[in-house]
Amino acid sequence: MLQTTLSVPIEVRPESASQLAKLIEEFKQREDKIDGEGVDNFANILNGLPNLHFMSISLFEDVSYDPIFIVEVNIDGAAPPFWFRLETVAGQAIRQMLRCCKRPQGRRGRLYDGVISDSDAQPLGPFMDAMAQPPSVFHHGNRGLSRKRILREAALFRNLRETLDGPQGVACRAMAPALLHASLRKMMLERFDWLADRPEPRITHLERAVDVVRLALFALLVLLVLSAPGIVSAALLSWSAHLAACLLIGAFLALILWRRDKAILSQISLGALSLRTVTLLAGGALLLLALLYGVGLIVGAGAGLAFNAAEAPNWGRALGKTLLSGQLGLLVTVPGLVLWLRALERRDSSHLMPPIDEAKVAQMLQREDWIAQNHMASVVHIRPGVLRALIIRAGHRGLGLLLRVKATDGYLGSMRTVHFAHWAFLNNGSRLLFVSNFDQSWGSYLDDFIEKAAVGLTLAWGCGVGFPPTDFLITGGAARGRLFKNWALASRSVSRFWCSAYPDLSVDQIERNHRVVQGLRKDRLADEQLASWMREL
Amino acid sequence: MAGGRGWKLAADTAHSPAHGAQAIVAAGFGSLACGTALFLDLPEACGGQWLADARAVAEVTIARQIGTERLERCVSVAFTWRGLQRMGLSAEALASFSAPFRQGMFQQDRSRRLGDRRGEDWLDTVIEGGPVWSGNIKAPPPPRPVDPYSAGMERDNTPPDVGISTHAMVLIYADSPQNVDESVQALEAAWAPHGVGISHRLMLKIERGEGEKFGREHFGFADGLSQPLPYDRDGAVLRDGQPVTTPDKINGTPLGDFLIGYRNRNDEIAPGPLVRADVDGAPLRSQTTLPAHPRALGFLDLGRNGSYLVVRQLRQDVRRFWDSLERTAQKLRESDSTASHITAQWLAERIVGRTMDGHVLRPDGTLPAGADGYPDNDFRYFDADQHGHGCPLGSHVRRANPRDALAPTGGDKDVLLDAANNHRILRRGRNYVASGATQDSAGDVGLLFMCLNTDILRQFEFTQQTWLMNSDFATLFEEVDPLVGPDGGMTIPQDPLRRRVQVETYVQLVGGEYFFLPSLQAIDYLSALSPPDGATE
Repeated sequence: MLQTTLSVPIEVRPESASQLAKLIEEFKQREDKIDGEGVDNFANILNGLPNLHFMSISLFEDVSYDPIFIVEVNIDGAAPPFWFRLETVAGQAIRQMLRCCKRPQGRRGRLYDGVISDSDAQPLGPFMDAMAQPPSVFHHGNRGLSRKRILREAALFRNLRETLDGPQGVACRAMAPALLHASLRKMMLERFDWLADRPEPRITHLERAVDVVRLALFALLVLLVLSAPGIVSAALLSWSAHLAACLLIGAFLALILWRRDKAILSQISLGALSLRTVTLLAGGALLLLALLYGVGLIVGAGAGLAFNAAEAPNWGRALGKTLLSGQLGLLVTVPGLVLWLRALERRDSSHLMPPIDEAKVAQMLQREDWIAQNHMASVVHIRPGVLRALIIRAGHRGLGLLLRVKATDGYLGSMRTVHFAHWAFLNNGSRLLFVSNFDQSWGSYLDDFIEKAAVGLTLAWGCGVGFPPTDFLITGGAARGRLFKNWALASRSVSRFWCSAYPDLSVDQIERNHRVVQGLRKDRLADEQLASWMREL
Repeated sequence: MAGGRGWKLAADTAHSPAHGAQAIVAAGFGSLACGTALFLDLPEACGGQWLADARAVAEVTIARQIGTERLERCVSVAFTWRGLQRMGLSAEALASFSAPFRQGMFQQDRSRRLGDRRGEDWLDTVIEGGPVWSGNIKAPPPPRPVDPYSAGMERDNTPPDVGISTHAMVLIYADSPQNVDESVQALEAAWAPHGVGISHRLMLKIERGEGEKFGREHFGFADGLSQPLPYDRDGAVLRDGQPVTTPDKINGTPLGDFLIGYRNRNDEIAPGPLVRADVDGAPLRSQTTLPAHPRALGFLDLGRNGSYLVVRQLRQDVRRFWDSLERTAQKLRESDSTASHITAQWLAERIVGRTMDGHVLRPDGTLPAGADGYPDNDFRYFDADQHGHGCPLGSHVRRANPRDALAPTGGDKDVLLDAANNHRILRRGRNYVASGATQDSAGDVGLLFMCLNTDILRQFEFTQQTWLMNSDFATLFEEVDPLVGPDGGMTIPQDPLRRRVQVETYVQLVGGEYFFLPSLQAIDYLSALSPPDGATE
């Protein structure tokens, strides 16, 4: 199912920043109250926006930029209908906030004029859409579960738990597991009629196929770009000269690399890779090579047909072979790029003691840890240079596509605390925004990253100015816990307005509720499935 | 190895940690079963002479003395931030301590995270009316009084005043009550001329059965069994006379997580406070033995061989604890024919996760004692008890140190074990009995919880918030620690269907604070402080 994550960044007139902060705070105070059945807080917002999961409104300061106002939304479905509903729920308040912002240039400026007009206000939607910044990488925890489904599965779980904890629980304990399952299923079907409906798949086969194809195409494109010098060499030189050139230059570059970074390279252990991972990587590489050959065959044959139909198959085979033998060029481009990267890493400046404003941190802390979920938003500057620009864009694109393929069970690997998180480029790619809605405290969330996903985090955030020192973009970086936390803290902003549609549910509990419901949807469970399902109750 | 015993701090040179660290860092002094904790009230601008005079009658015991001389007494001293301020430590030095220490345990946002207070209300985990003692630290005012981005709606987050202020704590352990009393009398006589008073005192003791190797806390459970095993890659930790430079697979934790000045889990020297050399009121550089700070030129290292000591006085209502469990067990037996084996002790052991004799619960019974005769602490959860059928998922010992229990799959268990060891604390608690109270009366008996750590946020506070008080710990829902958390449900997993029992709180916080446990060289420095001119608060 379609879920949308995006942020809308708008520059603020600095003289109005204080007023904007006040408006956001007043909006929060006004909305943060109970006014409806079954809704904890922010009843007006949550009732009026039934497809909203999480939403935040923040104001970021930066010594090098004017303040920036960012609205972050995580919703079911597409953005336009959401803006329409937001208009009815909070249009007036949002317009007041927008009046504190700078007028953008061009078409967006005209839309802005329409939105803030006192006499003839135009709808918010087109302006918000025009200003929206799509994420460069995003993760949806509990992927494919709509807000409605999350809430009703939670209600069923609570009901089931109350049943088992109540007087009926003793009788339940005496039943055989299969009988208990059947009995609970019957009971819940009577109480929750939606349980009998056929559920929408969390990820359709089409979505899955598109995700896999997009990742494969991306990998193919990266391979083609990296091997481009090799392909040219294979086309121009004889096979033996091409082979000799690639081996000699590659060996020379690898030797330099080894001599310079022997200590670090010898510490990088590939022993941690499981057999499954190695098999997957090898299989993926073979598949890519086959794809590449296929591309060669088709493109070559197509070109052949245009010039000499009889030779078309030969042209196809020749191009296929050239593309394959061009892959030897990776022996040169990969160590060459790594050498370039290491040269940059050695000269990078890391911010060992970023200025942390205790008053600002105090404002953040005051707003945190009231419920089991929290929110963070951070903006960092991006390191300059051609290679960095390429790495961050390709890295984010690749990481984003990989997450769509890999993170399909609702979790982010062994991290089980991320609801909705995304990165997005700001200011023509000179700054990087990170926003996340997560379980537990900010410190434990970062510890989760440091302990379980430091490599991915370093890849995504390592391009930030002042990021802790990295080695080959793999080690160091986020693994340098205290330095990394200080760096992240210094770039944070106060989450002045933030609301969650299910503040008492963790990612893990939402998946547990879902597993319980999925078990109840089935007439019968095999013994092993049944034992596993019973443990979830 | 049970109890983290058998290690020592290196003492080979004058710069070795054993010549600086207080003895309590390296040992719990089980052989000195009597003791007292004296919480001191220091007058304003008192300087350090009172400390010098106290040391003349009861010198602080340092780690070097362990094993090299027969110790009949161990004296330790620690200070709150406000205590150091009253002694005249410079503002610059006071600002160099870590934020939790500077702000105090009862800073309002911190209290919320620790599960002690929410908004204006103390929670049920605290004695009625709120804590009776603390450091009463007033957080320094924000460094930026005029904030152009402030919405002007910030709350006051300074800690609430509690009755008794504590500025320093002196622990005396001895082999007889007379020895303790004599030391206290001598100290009181030394302090009297300086106006230093004892604002609060507790009698400490180790309860040990006939022939038993371990102490028991007031509910009767073996205590202090699970401890980390420090190592230091530069050789500062010894076992059997040999340097321990690599971590123990299960309990290995770098010394820098317990002692400032050594490598910690972030692979950096654990940071600590520093003082500028030759400032007014401080001893001259030539008169102090403080080492130069390794990174800050012109500063002396006040933190090296010191640590942060977390202290929480936890009252245990022994009679009501057991009465409540008796009632719960009886109710279960009466209502459920499958619960005939459930007794108060059975429930208590599930709450704790170990038998009363300290053996961790396993699905097939208990884990046998280790080769040294102590309950085995060299164990993991994932392979032997993944579903908590022995040691319940939410039991106190599993929450306090989950080892590899939080691994979602077998492939993650080493990563999760490593992640859990990122948050270890070195426990040094002792039973306390307030004067006139006995275990059988409803008087004030309990545990003076004490632990050492160099990063309060990553270690103690993480353990308290993310493990003990986390209502989503280990895919549980709306349950917190059954021993130290508020009243609530506790799941006892078993096949085919779990039990959930209601447990009540009989452990409550009486008072607490974060202390700094200085090295001998830092104590020398503090003893030589001149009274500051006028009050500084």
